[in-house]
Amino acid sequence: MKTNKKITTALTAFSFILVLGFISCKKDILNLTPKTQIAEENAFDTPERVLAQVNGLYDALKSGNFLGGRYLVYNDIRAEEFLNRLTNGVTGLQTWSHTLTSSANEVENLWGAAYTAINRINVFLKGLNDHKDKVDPTLFTQYTAEAKFMRALCYYDLLTLYARPYTKDNGASPGLPLRLKAETTTANNDLARSSVKEVYNQILADLNEAENNLPLKYSSSSLDVTRAHRNTVIALKTRIYLSMGQYSDVVTQASKIVSASAPFQASSGVQHKLEASVATPFTNYTTTESVFSMPMTEGDPPGTQNQLGYYYNKPGVGNGEYSLNKVAGGILADTSWKATDARKVNFVEAVGTTTYFKKFNKPAPYTDYVPLIRYAEVLLNYAEAAAQTNDLTKAIALLKAVRNRSDAAYVFSPASIGTQADVIKTILIERRIELLGEGFRSNDLLRLGQPIPAKANVNAVQPTQAEYIWPIPNSELLANKLMTPN
Amino acid sequence: MKKTITALSILLVGIASYGFSQNKTITGTVTSAEDKQGLPGVTIRITGAKSGGAQTNVEGEYSIEVPQEVQSLTFSTMSYVSQDIAIGTKTKIDVVMVPDKKILEELVVMGYAVQSKKDVTSAVSTIKGDAIKDAPVQSFEQALAGKATGVNVTLPNGVLNNAPVIRVRGFNSITNSSYPLIILDGVPIFSQSAFANVPTNSAANNPLGDINPADIESIDILKDAAATAIYGSRAANGVMVITTKKGKSGGKVRVAYNSWLGVSQVYNMPEVLNAKQYMEIKNEARRNANLTDAYFPSFNADGSEVDTRWADVVYQTGVSTNNDISMSGATESTSYYLSLGYSDQNGFIRKNEFQRKSIRFNLDQQVLRRIKVGSLINYTSNFNSAPNTGSLPGEGFATGGLGRLAFVTAPNVAPRNPDGSYNITTTNSMGLSNNLSQTGFYNPQLILDKNIFTSSSDHLIASLFAEVEILKSLKFKTVYLVDNNKIEAISFLNPLHGDGFTNHGVANNISATLSKSGWTNHLNFQKTFAEKHSIMLLAGTEQLYSLSDAWGGSRQNVADDFFETYQGNFLTNNPPTTVNFQGENGFLSYFTSANYDLKKKYFLTASARRDGFSGLAEGNKFGNFWGTSVGWALSEEDFFKSMSLSNTINSVKLRASYGKVGNMGIPDFGSLSLYNSALYGDLNTITYAQAGNPTLKWETSTKSDLGLVVGFLKDRIQFEASYFNNNINGLVLNSPQAPSKGIPNNAILINVGSMYNKGLELSVQSTNINTSRFYWSSNTNFTTIKNEVTALADGNADIVGTTSTLERTNITRVGYSLGSIYAVRTAGVNPDNGQRIFLTKDGVKVQYSHVVPAGKSRWTYLDGTTAPAITASDAVVVGNALPKWYGGFNNTLKYKDKIDLNIGITFAGGYYVYNGSQAGMRDQRFWNNEVEVMERWTYAGQNTNIPRVVFGDNVSNGSSFPISENVERGDFVKLKNVSLGYTFEEKVFGKTGIKSLRVYAQVTNIYTLTKYSGPDPEVSTNGNSNLTPGVDRNTVPQATNYTFGLNLGL
Repeated sequence: MKTNKKITTALTAFSFILVLGFISCKKDILNLTPKTQIAEENAFDTPERVLAQVNGLYDALKSGNFLGGRYLVYNDIRAEEFLNRLTNGVTGLQTWSHTLTSSANEVENLWGAAYTAINRINVFLKGLNDHKDKVDPTLFTQYTAEAKFMRALCYYDLLTLYARPYTKDNGASPGLPLRLKAETTTANNDLARSSVKEVYNQILADLNEAENNLPLKYSSSSLDVTRAHRNTVIALKTRIYLSMGQYSDVVTQASKIVSASAPFQASSGVQHKLEASVATPFTNYTTTESVFSMPMTEGDPPGTQNQLGYYYNKPGVGNGEYSLNKVAGGILADTSWKATDARKVNFVEAVGTTTYFKKFNKPAPYTDYVPLIRYAEVLLNYAEAAAQTNDLTKAIALLKAVRNRSDAAYVFSPASIGTQADVIKTILIERRIELLGEGFRSNDLLRLGQPIPAKANVNAVQPTQAEYIWPIPNSELLANKLMTPN
Repeated sequence: MKKTITALSILLVGIASYGFSQNKTITGTVTSAEDKQGLPGVTIRITGAKSGGAQTNVEGEYSIEVPQEVQSLTFSTMSYVSQDIAIGTKTKIDVVMVPDKKILEELVVMGYAVQSKKDVTSAVSTIKGDAIKDAPVQSFEQALAGKATGVNVTLPNGVLNNAPVIRVRGFNSITNSSYPLIILDGVPIFSQSAFANVPTNSAANNPLGDINPADIESIDILKDAAATAIYGSRAANGVMVITTKKGKSGGKVRVAYNSWLGVSQVYNMPEVLNAKQYMEIKNEARRNANLTDAYFPSFNADGSEVDTRWADVVYQTGVSTNNDISMSGATESTSYYLSLGYSDQNGFIRKNEFQRKSIRFNLDQQVLRRIKVGSLINYTSNFNSAPNTGSLPGEGFATGGLGRLAFVTAPNVAPRNPDGSYNITTTNSMGLSNNLSQTGFYNPQLILDKNIFTSSSDHLIASLFAEVEILKSLKFKTVYLVDNNKIEAISFLNPLHGDGFTNHGVANNISATLSKSGWTNHLNFQKTFAEKHSIMLLAGTEQLYSLSDAWGGSRQNVADDFFETYQGNFLTNNPPTTVNFQGENGFLSYFTSANYDLKKKYFLTASARRDGFSGLAEGNKFGNFWGTSVGWALSEEDFFKSMSLSNTINSVKLRASYGKVGNMGIPDFGSLSLYNSALYGDLNTITYAQAGNPTLKWETSTKSDLGLVVGFLKDRIQFEASYFNNNINGLVLNSPQAPSKGIPNNAILINVGSMYNKGLELSVQSTNINTSRFYWSSNTNFTTIKNEVTALADGNADIVGTTSTLERTNITRVGYSLGSIYAVRTAGVNPDNGQRIFLTKDGVKVQYSHVVPAGKSRWTYLDGTTAPAITASDAVVVGNALPKWYGGFNNTLKYKDKIDLNIGITFAGGYYVYNGSQAGMRDQRFWNNEVEVMERWTYAGQNTNIPRVVFGDNVSNGSSFPISENVERGDFVKLKNVSLGYTFEEKVFGKTGIKSLRVYAQVTNIYTLTKYSGPDPEVSTNGNSNLTPGVDRNTVPQATNYTFGLNLGL
C-alpha cells in the first residue's frame, strides 16, 4: 500500500510539472506579428519609410485599372479610332460598344482604383501631419504638395468619365463625392455628390498650392519623369483649364513653361522640349519631353490585360485586342496625315488587312512607361487656347512645331489655317494624330460637346444620351445612401 | 557410493520441494470462441495477483506452476472477456475465451474521451470505416454522401482529389469557412480551407486525401453544442472526429489486404451540335445580323467532312488501381497497427492523375504498470496532376478552362491539320480551317498535350501520447501532435499556344508549407459510486501553433521550345509577388467537462472551454464557449418496463442540449491595420493595405437540439429523430464600404451579421429480414433544413456573390437563404419576333434584339416603343441554392453470408441551381451550342424558348448577366452505388492460413433522376463558398466508376 501511495504521489507530481512547464511555454503564442507587412504605428518611423509612402501614393495611381493602363485605353476605345477584334468582355468590349451597366467591371474597378488612391493620399496627409516632428520641414511641404497634385489628377480623371463636361453648363451638373478626409473606419459611407464646378475648384486649389511647394527638379532625369515637380503641375493646369473651356487661363499657365518662340521649351525648372524624333519618348522614357509617366519594369509590370501594348500591338507582340479603324472619318484615313509622317512610320503597322497600333512597342511583360503628360500635349493645349483667344500666329507656330517635328516637309494649306475656325479645326486634327492612344479622344469630344462617332456596328452617341458618360458604379449606389446615379 | 549420494540428493530435493514449495503445475490450451483456434499471448495468473504468471504460446498452450493452496486462475487478454477459473483438483484446464462485447459495442469518440454510444446524450452520427474503405475515391469524405443525418456532402465536379462540399446542419458562417473541424486521432488537421492563403494551381490537392480510407475505424460527426463545445471556438460548423484502426484480437497477427481495379467514364455529358448543325445555326445567326455567312466545312485528308466531338478530346476512360495491406495485433500490454497503401488513379479527364503512397503505424504500449505510451503516425507522399479544367473555385471563366472548351469549340474544325500539325491561328486562337470567323478560344488538344500542372505533398500527421494512471479512477494524459504538409505546386504554360503564348512560355513553381504543432494535457476522472452514480470529469489545456508559408518563382520566355520546366533556360525572370506569403497563428485553450448519470437512466453533461486566438486584438483575444445536455432513458424506468408496450419497444431515450460555440477563420492578422511594401518602377513603396478592426470578436453560434431515440423489437428497428436550431450571431463580415471612401478592398471586417439554421433529422435503421439464409437491413436518413439570414452589415446592405470574380450570380439578403440565386427574370420568347422577353425589377416586360437599325434601341417594350436597357440591377432573388431537404437510403442484403448486395441512394430537393453553362451553350457568338438550339425561333407565331439566333448576341441567353431562364430546380434522386460481393467459405482455404476472402464488383454514380438539364445537380463551381453556392459555370461533369476488388484477411 505504501508503495502505491508513493507511486501515486510521484505520478501526480510528474503531471503537475508537465502542466507547469506547459503554462510557462505559452506566453508568446497569442502575440504574433506579421512578417511581411508593417504595422500602422510604425509607418512613419524613419525618413526612408515616409519617402516609401510617397512612392506608394504614385504606385496607387499606377494601378492597372487606372493610370497604369486602362484609363488611357477606355478613353480611346470609347471613340471611333479603334475596332474591337476579340469580343472579350474583360478587355473593354462593353466600353467600346457603349453597353456598360453600373455593375460592369470597367465601371466598378476604375472608380475603386481612383478612390483607393485618393484615400491613400488623405490617410498619408493626416499621418504626415500627426508625425510632423519626425519629418524634415522642407520635405513636409514637398510631400504634401506631391500628394495634393496626385489627388487633383485623380479627381480630374474621374470627372472625365463619370460626370457631364464642365463646358455643358458651367459645372452645374452632378460631379463626384469629394473625399478629402482620411477614412479608416466604417463611418462616413454616405456623402452626396458635389457639383462639377465644386470639384474643379478643389482640383485647382490643390494644384495651385502644389505648384508653389514642389521642387524645380529632382536628382535624376528618371525621378523628373516619375515624380511631380513644379512644371508637372503647370502642365496639368493647361489641361484642366482647357477642359473647362477657360482659354485665357490656359495661355497664362502655358506661357510659364513654353518659351515665347520656337524651338519651344521650358525655360525654368525641368527643361521640357520636343525630341527630334517622336519615337524617342516611347523608347527612351526619361527624356524631358515626358513630363509625367508611370514607370514599368520587369519586376513591377502593369498586370495581366492592363498593358497598353497588349491591347494595341499585333498578336505575337501584344494581343491585338483592338485594331485601327481605317474607314473614312477615322484619323488613319485623314488625307493630311501622310504616309511619310514619322508617327505613321513608327506607330502604325499593317498585318494583312488589319492595321495595328504600335506606339507601345515592348513585348511581354510590356515595360512601356505609361505617358500621362507629354510636352507635345502642352503645346497643343496652348495652340488651341491661343487660337480661341485669337492669337492665331502663336497658334500656328505651335501647330507647326508639332507637325513638322514628325513630317518636316509638310506645309499647311492656306485653307486649313485661314480663319480662326480653320485653325482650331486643324489643331483638333493634330491632337488626334499626335495623341492617338494616349487617352485623350473621349475627353476632347466631351469638352466640345461633340457626339461620339459611330464605328463598325456601334451607333454614334449623342451628348444627350445616357451613354455619353459612364454610369455610377452599383456598389457605390448600394453603400452610399446619398449617391445619385447618372 | 555414487548411487547412494544420488538417491539421497533426489530424496532431499524431493523432500525440500514437497516441504517448501508445495507447488502444482497446471497446463492446458486456450482457444478463441470465434474460430476455435489457439490464442497466443493470453496471460494466466493466480487470481488476485498483480504480476507474474505465464503466457500461452503460439498454439495457445500454457503451463503454469502455482502454490498448492491456489484455488483459482485468471485468464485475460486484450479484447476478450477475462475469466476466473476454479482449479479444484484439475491439472489440465482448457479455456474458451469469448470476445469482449463491450469493446465491440459502439463507442463514440467525443472531446478528449471515449463514450459508449448508449450513454451519449448529444447529437452524433457515426459512420463505420468499413462502409467507405472500398469506395473508389481519393479522400474519405468523398464517400460520406447520404450516410448521416444532418451531414450534406456533395462532390462539386469530377476532378480527382478535389475537396467535396461538406455542411453539417447547414451553413454556419458567411465569410469564414463552413467546413467542419476535422480531428484525426486528436490532431486538428488542416483541411481544404487552409489553402485559402496558400496558392496552388489547377491540380487539386486536398489534404484530407492524404489519409488512407482503409485506415479509418470510424468517423463520429458531432453536431450539437453539447458535443462540440469541448472544441470551443472552432466547433460552430460541427466536428468530424476520425479514429484510425488499432490492433485488437489477442496475440495473433491479423493481416488484411484490399485491392481494387476501377474504370471511370464521363457521365451525363450535354449534347452539342454537330458540324452540320453548327454551320446551319451560325450562318443563320450571321444573316440575322446582316452579316455574310462565315462558317464552312473543312475536310480530313481522306476527303470526309470534319466533325469533331471535342468531348472525346478532353475526356477518356480512366483506369485506376488501389492496393493496401495492414498488419495488426494486440497482447495485454501492446497493441499495434501497421498499414501500407498505394493508390494510382487516372480520372476520366485526360491527364488527371492521383497517386498516393501512405504508411501508418499506430502503437499502444504499456511501459510500466501505470504508464502507457503510444504513437499514431501517418506519412503520405502524394502526386496530383490535372489540366486546367476551369472547375476549381475561381477558374470558372479561365480562357483555357477545358470544361468550357469541350462544349464551346466549333465542331467543324479538327484538332490537327491533315499534315499532323496542330490546327491553330497565328493570333493564338483555335484554327479557322475554312471558316472566316473565330472558331474557338484555344485548341484543347494542344493545351492538353503541352501544359503541365502538378501539385505534390509530403505530409506527416502524428500524435504521441503518454497516459499515466495516477489512481485507478484518475488518469493524466499528455499528447504532442503534429500536422506537417510540404507542398510543391508546379505549372508550365507552353509557348506555342494558349495562356503561355503572350509571354512565350511561363513556368511557375511554388513551395508551400502548412505546419501545425500542439500540446494537450488533460486529467480524466471516471468512477461509479454505489453502483448507480457514474461520474466522469475532465479538465485540460491545449496550445496550438499553425504556420502557413509559401514562396515561389516565375520565369517567362523560354530560350528554346525544348524547355518545359522552371529549371530550363528562360529569358525573363519575373517573380510573382502575389505568391509569397507568411502567416502564423496561435490558440491557447482551457477546457473542462463533466458527465453524470444515475443508474444509466438519467444523464447530465456539461462542458466549457475558453479559447484565445492570436489574430484578435489585445483585450478581445479570449472567448468563452459552453454546452450542456440532459438525457432520460425512459425505457429503463420500472413503470415503463412493466408496460406491455415494452415488449415491442425495448429502448426509448430522450435528450435535449443547448450551448454556445464559436467559429474561427478570422485571418491571422485580421484585427491589425497594416501597410504593404511593393514597388513603384524600381523604387520601394509602403502602402496602406488593411483597415483593421481592434474590436473584432469570435462569431458565436447558439445551438439547441432535441432528440428521441427509440429501439423497437430488441433494436431490430432503431429510430432517431432530432430537431435542431442554430442561431449564429456576430458573424464576421467584410462590411462593404462605399468605394469612394477608398478603404483597402472596400471592406472592413466587423462582427455584425446573424443567421439561423433550423431543421429536423430523421433516421431509421432496420433489420428487415434476418433468417439463416437471407438478411436485409436498411438505413434511411432524412434531413430538412431552413436557413435564413437575419441581419447584415451597414443597415442590412445586400452582399452580392460573384462567380470567379466575373459573374454576379448570388445575393445574400436579410430574410432569404444565404447565397440565394440572383438573376434577371425572363418570360420566354415573344412568338411574334423571336426576341427574349425580360422583366424589369418591377415586372414590366421588355424585349431585346441584338441588331437594330441605326438610331433604334435594342431594348423595346412589347409594343415596340423604346425601353431603358435591362441591367443587372433588375435582378431579383429567384430561389434558394441550399437544399431544403436531403438524405440517403442504404440497403444491405445478404444470402447465407456468402453473397452480399449493397445499394445506396441519395436524394436532395427544394433548391435551385444557376445553370451558367447553359448560358454559354446558347450564346450566339462563335460558341458551339447545345442541340436544343435547333428549336430556335424562325417564323412568326412559333412558340419556343430559344430566341432568334443573331450573331454576336451575348445578352438574350444570359452571358451578360444571369437570367432566370437558366435557373433550374436541382431536386434529384441518385442511384449512387451498387455493390455485389461474394465471400468464400473458410473451409475452402484449408491450411493456407487465409481466413477470409471476398470479391466484389461495384458501380458508383449510376443514374440520376432529375429535371436539372446540366450534368449534375450537385455541382458547385465555387466549391465550399458560402456566398456563391449552387452555381454551374463551365465545370467538368462527374464520372461513373466501375470497380472490381477483393478483400483478403489472413
